[in-house]
Amino acid sequence: MLVLAACGPKSEEPVDNAPEAAEDVTITWLRLAEWNEADPKIIETFEAEHPGIKVEVEEIPFSELVSQINLRFGADDDSIDVISADVPLVSSYGYKGWLLPLDDAFTAEEKADWLPAALDAGTYDGQLMAAPVSTSTQLLYYNADAFDAAGVTPPGQDERWTWSQVIDAAQQLQVVGDDDTVETWGFQWEQTTAAYQLLPLMGSLGGDYIGEGGLVVDGVVNSEPWVEAATFYYDVFNTYKVAPQGDAVNGPDLFVNGNLAMLIAGPWQISNFAENAEFDWNVSRHPYFEGGEVATSTGSWHLGVNSLTKHPEEAKAFVRWLSTGEGAEMWWRDGSHDFPAQQSVLAMFATSEEFNEVPMSFNRVAADEATQGPIPRPVTVGYLEYDQIFRDTFQDIRIGTDPVEALGTMVDRLVSEFAKYE
Amino acid sequence: MKTQKFSPTPYLFLAPAIILLFIFNLFPAVATFQQSLFAESARRGADPIFVRFENFMRIFQDPVFWKSAKVTLLFSLITNPMQTVLALGLALIATQKVKGIGIFRSIYLLPVAVSINVAVVVWGLMVDTNAGLINGMLNQIGLPEQAFLTSPDQALYTIIMIISWKGIPYWALFFIAAVQGIPVSAIEAALIDGANKWQLLTRIIIPILRPIILFVLVADTIINFTLFVPIQLLTQGGPQLSSNLVMYETYRRGFIYGDLGSSSVMLTIMFIVILIVIGIQNLLLRERN
Repeated sequence: MLVLAACGPKSEEPVDNAPEAAEDVTITWLRLAEWNEADPKIIETFEAEHPGIKVEVEEIPFSELVSQINLRFGADDDSIDVISADVPLVSSYGYKGWLLPLDDAFTAEEKADWLPAALDAGTYDGQLMAAPVSTSTQLLYYNADAFDAAGVTPPGQDERWTWSQVIDAAQQLQVVGDDDTVETWGFQWEQTTAAYQLLPLMGSLGGDYIGEGGLVVDGVVNSEPWVEAATFYYDVFNTYKVAPQGDAVNGPDLFVNGNLAMLIAGPWQISNFAENAEFDWNVSRHPYFEGGEVATSTGSWHLGVNSLTKHPEEAKAFVRWLSTGEGAEMWWRDGSHDFPAQQSVLAMFATSEEFNEVPMSFNRVAADEATQGPIPRPVTVGYLEYDQIFRDTFQDIRIGTDPVEALGTMVDRLVSEFAKYE
Repeated sequence: MKTQKFSPTPYLFLAPAIILLFIFNLFPAVATFQQSLFAESARRGADPIFVRFENFMRIFQDPVFWKSAKVTLLFSLITNPMQTVLALGLALIATQKVKGIGIFRSIYLLPVAVSINVAVVVWGLMVDTNAGLINGMLNQIGLPEQAFLTSPDQALYTIIMIISWKGIPYWALFFIAAVQGIPVSAIEAALIDGANKWQLLTRIIIPILRPIILFVLVADTIINFTLFVPIQLLTQGGPQLSSNLVMYETYRRGFIYGDLGSSSVMLTIMFIVILIVIGIQNLLLRERN
C-alpha cells in the first residue's frame, strides 16, 4: 500500500492522467432524471478532450435516486462509476466506504476555488469524498402581471417579505373561477414537501434541524418552532387554501402557465422561465417569519466515485472535469442550471456584463441570496430516513392531518429507524 | 406380507416440481430467516455481523411495526371474511337460472379481466379528494364530499373497497364452478323433504362447498397478507401510517432504507403468522370424515 501511495500523483500536480487505453473505456454516471434535458454537448466535449473515455448516463428520478444508490452500493454494485450525490448524504457514503477519496485528483488551487462550505460538505474524515459541483439557494419568483391585475405591490428585488406578507398577497392574487375551481393559485413551493425546501421555516423560528449527534429527534422535531412552522404550512394549504394540495401540475409548470402568482424555487428555474413564461415576472428574496431569523436553503449536488469502480482514473478525470473550470461552467449553463459551487464561476455573476440585464441579472440576486442565512440540512447517518419521513409527514399535513399529530408520528418513525444506528 | 418393490419412477416425475419448489420457495424462505439474524456491516467489504435475535428484539419494540401489524390485522379481519362471503353470495346469484343471467355474469366478471395496476390507478383518480368523479357525484346529490385516501380514518377502507371490487368477482369464479358441480339430486331431495331456502343453503350447499370455501379463504388470506400494489400506487402507507400494511413496511425498510435485517425479520414474522392463520382455518373448516 505504501509503495503504491508513494507512486501516486503528488497532490499539486497533474491529475488528468487517465491512461490512454487501446480500447475505449466506458464509465457510467448515475444522475438525476430531472437533468435529461442537459445539453449532450457537455459530455461530447469531455469525450473529445479525453480520447479513450466514453461516458454513459443512467438517470433516476429524484424521489428514487437516493434509495437506488443505497441499494445498489449496499449490494456492492460495480456497474456504476460516478454518482451524483445529494450533499447531506456524502458523509454517510464516506462512512460506509462507498466512495473513493478524490484528493489526488485535484490541485490545491482547484480545491480552494470551491465554496468552503461545499468543500467541507464533500469531505469526510479529512479526505475529499465527493467533489462539489453545485450549491443552491431559493428565490421568490412572482408573476408581475398577476400583481398588476390584482393591484398588489410586489416586493422589491432586495426586499425580504415576511410570511404573513406573502400569505396576504397570495389571498389577494388568487383567482377563483365561476365553478369554484381555482384559476390562479396564490403561492407554492417548488419541492412542496421536501426537507430541503421547508426546513428554513423551522430555521427562521430558531428551530434545530436535528438533535445531538445527529440521531436525537424527540424534543427537536416536535419542539415549539417545528409545531409553529408546521401549523403555518398546514394553514397555507388548509386554512388560507392559497396553494394546491395535489401534485397534478407541479409548481414551476403552474407558474409558467400563468396559473400561479408566487413560487419559491431555485435559481435553476431562471432559464426555464426566461424561455417559457410569456408574461412579466421578477424575483425577490426568500421570506422569513416576522421577528424571526433569515434562514435559507443551501446545499446541492456533489460527484463521487464508486470505490468498486474498475476505472478509477477515468472516473476521477470525469469528476474533475465536471466540477472545475470549463466543465463546471458548461454544466451550469447548459446542464442542470444548478448554482455553481466554484467561486470563479460565481464571480462571473458580479463582474460579467451578461448579468446586467434581466433575466440573467436574477443570478446576481441569487448569488447574494446564497450568502444570507444559509443553513445546511442536518448531518446524520440516517439522512435518507429523515428525508423520506419528513416528506411523508409534510404530505400528510398538506392534505389535512393535524400538525402536532403528524410531527408526533414523525418522531415515532424516526426513533424506529434510528434504533439500528445506535 | 408382500413388500412393495421401490420404484424411482414416481419420484422422477415429481422431481422437477420439487426442485423448483426448493429453489423458488424453500430456499428464499430459509435465506430470509438467515438474513434476519445478521446486521449488515456498516462498512463496505466487511462481512455481515451475526447478531442472533437482536433484529427481532428491535422490531418487537418498534412502535411503527406494531402499528402496521394492527393495521394489517384490521385489514385482514375485514377483507378476507367479507370477500369470501360476498363472493359466495355473488356466485349463488350468478348460478340462478333466469333469463339474461349470461349478461349479468359478463358484467360482474369484467373487473377480473382488468389489470390490478390499471384498476388501482383509475380508482385512485375516481376517489381523488378534489377532482375525483365520486366526490363530484356526491356533490351533485347534495351529500358531503369525502376525503377518501387523504384521511387517516378512510384510507384503509377505501383501499379495501378498491381491492374488493376486483377480489370478490375473482373468488366468485371458484364458487360458481363449485356450485355448478353440486349434484341436482341432492338439492331436489332436500326440497322434497321440505327444506326451505335457508336450510338448503346452510345444510346442503355450504357443507358441500366446505373444501372450496377453505381454499378461497386460505388463498385470499395469503394474497391479502402480501398485498402491495394498491398501497404503493395510492398511499405509500399513509396518511399517518393508516394504510401501512406490514408488507409495505417490509418493502420500505428493505428497498428504500436498505435495512435488510429489519425487512427479513418482518418477512419471517409474517411467514409464521400466515402459517398459523392457515393452520387455524384448516382446523375450523376441515372436512369431518
